[in-house]
Amino acid sequence: MYDHLTDVLNKILAERPENVIDFFEEYSRKVKEKRFKPLTDHLEDIYVSPLRYELARKWQPLLRPLPVDEPSTMDPEDQEIADMTRNDMLQLQYYFEMAAFGLPRTEMFAILLSMMRLIKKEPVVSIRFWGKIYGLYRNYLVVETDLKEEEYMKKNENFLEELKLKEEAKALEEAAKLELATQEIKGEENTTGIPRPLPPEPVNLYEEEPEAPDEPAGVGVNKKVYYVCHEVGDDWIQLPEVTAKQIRVSRLIRKSFTGSLEQKVDVYPEFPGNEMNLLRAQIGRISAGTHISPLGFYTFGGEGGEEEEEEEAEEEEGGGGSKTTYRENMRFEGVAIRDLIDSSMSFWVHHALNILPQGRTTWWNPYPQEMDEEMGEEEEEKERKIGPEPETGPPLLTPLSEDSALETIRPWSVRSSSNIMQNYAIAIVRSNIWPGAFCFSNQGKIFQNIYLGDGLKQLAQTFSPKPLPPVQQDYPIGPEIMEIDDPTGAEEEAWRIAHLPKEKPPADEMAEEEEEEDEDDEDDDDDDDDDD
Amino acid sequence: MDIDSLLNTLDTCGQLGLVLSTEESLTLYNSLLLLQNENHFRKAFFWGRIFGHEKDYYVAYGYTNDVLLNRVFYYSTNCRDWGLLPRPTDKALLLTPLCTSKFQGDPALVVDILIEKDEISIGEKLKAPQVRQLKEEDRLAAAIHLINEEAVVVPRGVLFQRPDGVVVENLSFEGLSYLEAMEVKSFLHYRKARNKWNTNLLTRNDYNYAIDFLDCADEDVPEGCFVTQISPGGIYVVVQSLYWTGFMLYHKIGTPIYGYAYFGNGRKCFNLPFMLQLL
Repeated sequence: MYDHLTDVLNKILAERPENVIDFFEEYSRKVKEKRFKPLTDHLEDIYVSPLRYELARKWQPLLRPLPVDEPSTMDPEDQEIADMTRNDMLQLQYYFEMAAFGLPRTEMFAILLSMMRLIKKEPVVSIRFWGKIYGLYRNYLVVETDLKEEEYMKKNENFLEELKLKEEAKALEEAAKLELATQEIKGEENTTGIPRPLPPEPVNLYEEEPEAPDEPAGVGVNKKVYYVCHEVGDDWIQLPEVTAKQIRVSRLIRKSFTGSLEQKVDVYPEFPGNEMNLLRAQIGRISAGTHISPLGFYTFGGEGGEEEEEEEAEEEEGGGGSKTTYRENMRFEGVAIRDLIDSSMSFWVHHALNILPQGRTTWWNPYPQEMDEEMGEEEEEKERKIGPEPETGPPLLTPLSEDSALETIRPWSVRSSSNIMQNYAIAIVRSNIWPGAFCFSNQGKIFQNIYLGDGLKQLAQTFSPKPLPPVQQDYPIGPEIMEIDDPTGAEEEAWRIAHLPKEKPPADEMAEEEEEEDEDDEDDDDDDDDDD
Repeated sequence: MDIDSLLNTLDTCGQLGLVLSTEESLTLYNSLLLLQNENHFRKAFFWGRIFGHEKDYYVAYGYTNDVLLNRVFYYSTNCRDWGLLPRPTDKALLLTPLCTSKFQGDPALVVDILIEKDEISIGEKLKAPQVRQLKEEDRLAAAIHLINEEAVVVPRGVLFQRPDGVVVENLSFEGLSYLEAMEVKSFLHYRKARNKWNTNLLTRNDYNYAIDFLDCADEDVPEGCFVTQISPGGIYVVVQSLYWTGFMLYHKIGTPIYGYAYFGNGRKCFNLPFMLQLL
């Protein structure tokens, strides 16, 4: 006791903490704890490297200056090195912080460094930091890139081949099905007599809706290529192209990201692919929904009036040929901050293509041939109603004021970054539909979209998963499968008496009874072979 | 988070992407010091920010004597002028979870809440849909109360119960170790304990009467509704509540530095059971 008290007093006198009286027990406990630790611990000699050491090792290569390229004879324009002038992350950091969102300063700087590595390694034409998606266990940093033309060509070659392969596989499957069906029918023919012929096999009437083909790389939802990594310093991993089905299914489900790209997504309706694909689908949807720019920053090129007319004409043709490209407007003069923070949002436009319910940005007609034939026939009006209506979305560069609200939630909130210094204020736009999507703009000159969130859409009501389809009928309802009560003893007796032959020898009666019993049994499952 | 850490939110809250801008943090720092002085608070804290459509609500609190029981909450829409947050009424506590609209930013606004048929959470089962009204100030109070009850956690050992029952901040808190920080079990609910005192004590091997008087976060259902993430290099641990997305607690491992804040839209995420995914 004396020893302990001296130790505690020693500690207190040495460290002189505040308010010792209240925490006396705590200090006493700590001294006791120390006493329990063996003084002769031979394992202590092993040096455990701190965790930060790992981090330091990861960052070390990033912090070295990039090797200088050998002076090449090629024209600098042909080299197609991605333009990094709009990626000054520290400048963006300044604006982000003004807009009240952002990542730690060191992280932003390291992202910039690692992006510079990426453009050396991969065939990238343009690059942009897209944002960060927070998973349950790990997070994803995402960059958005445009690849070189050749890369897209390469990818699309594969894409076409794969399409062919898929079609062939489908045809094979169908052939196999047909064969099976015919075999079964033959099998049934062979077994005549006893056992009795079974009712015909149920036919599967369900036809899968024709699947919308995926958009090839470099077009529509696959216009951009995304690279992700978990932490700064890891290698960037390219995400695969998204398919139309993945987008459609991702709209029906609600799942957090775990942070492991290979993780299986365990949902109903079944999601085609693993978390990597889900991540890509969500990124695609977020980009389509939230990439905005000040009015006039981008144009379609050429003079406005004609362009619009052309566009309309194209749309009338029905090819879904709305404009998909735009370029920077050189004569853009900026939008006043007063207009940018106007809550009608008409000075902001979408510069990403809307994704249709089909999961594509351009509409694909599932029944093209039928339509043509029907059009040729006389009853055009009727068929038009039957034929699918083309899905349309707002064209590119539509003002945000046209966006539909999510029940009572208006889609965008806009703020000025400062109440005090109006001159230096920037406009901040927050998406309420994709919480975590932001955009800022300083008088329209500099703007940037970023997403920092969990990758899930806001729902007005609580989420309810898609119900299971109703149970389908195996067999047509008929007497064979109806459930009928067994006749009671009294009923059997009555039947027997009713069918009793009036005058017959007793031996016959016995036979009759046996038959009856047989029939009764059969009645339960099968009415077909009433011998009577 | 306490007012001293307001000026550097980028490294702490920035782990989850939402921070306070320089102007906001400076204004808050000053106005909270004034608030602390006016109310004779021992310490004032910034609690968080609830996003509204027109304006955001900034919420702060201070305590006079007891960290747990004597907290007084204030709210503001401009970081400067603070209004006392009313106590949550029973009606507001019932209606707030049913309210699907976004906060507007006007405390005096009265919102209509449509209650669907067969809703059972407000007592008896409703036979027909009903519309009830709720003032946004009451809704704000109820939402903050619910977040305090359900989401707010602190590292174990931060709060200290003195033998006379008063809860104070633990001056001898030395921070969680790396291994402790990875476990949800080392985070305690910052609310009046709901479990019996011995339940909270006996679930631990290294129990301590002065520290383990709060409910542990790992008892919440479903398992995994709190997630802990260690930042690269093991410098910070970040705890998030998935029910109230936007709540985050940061703690610098091995140091007494910690703080929590709520940056969100003030709506509980009822979809959590569908979203959870176990590795």
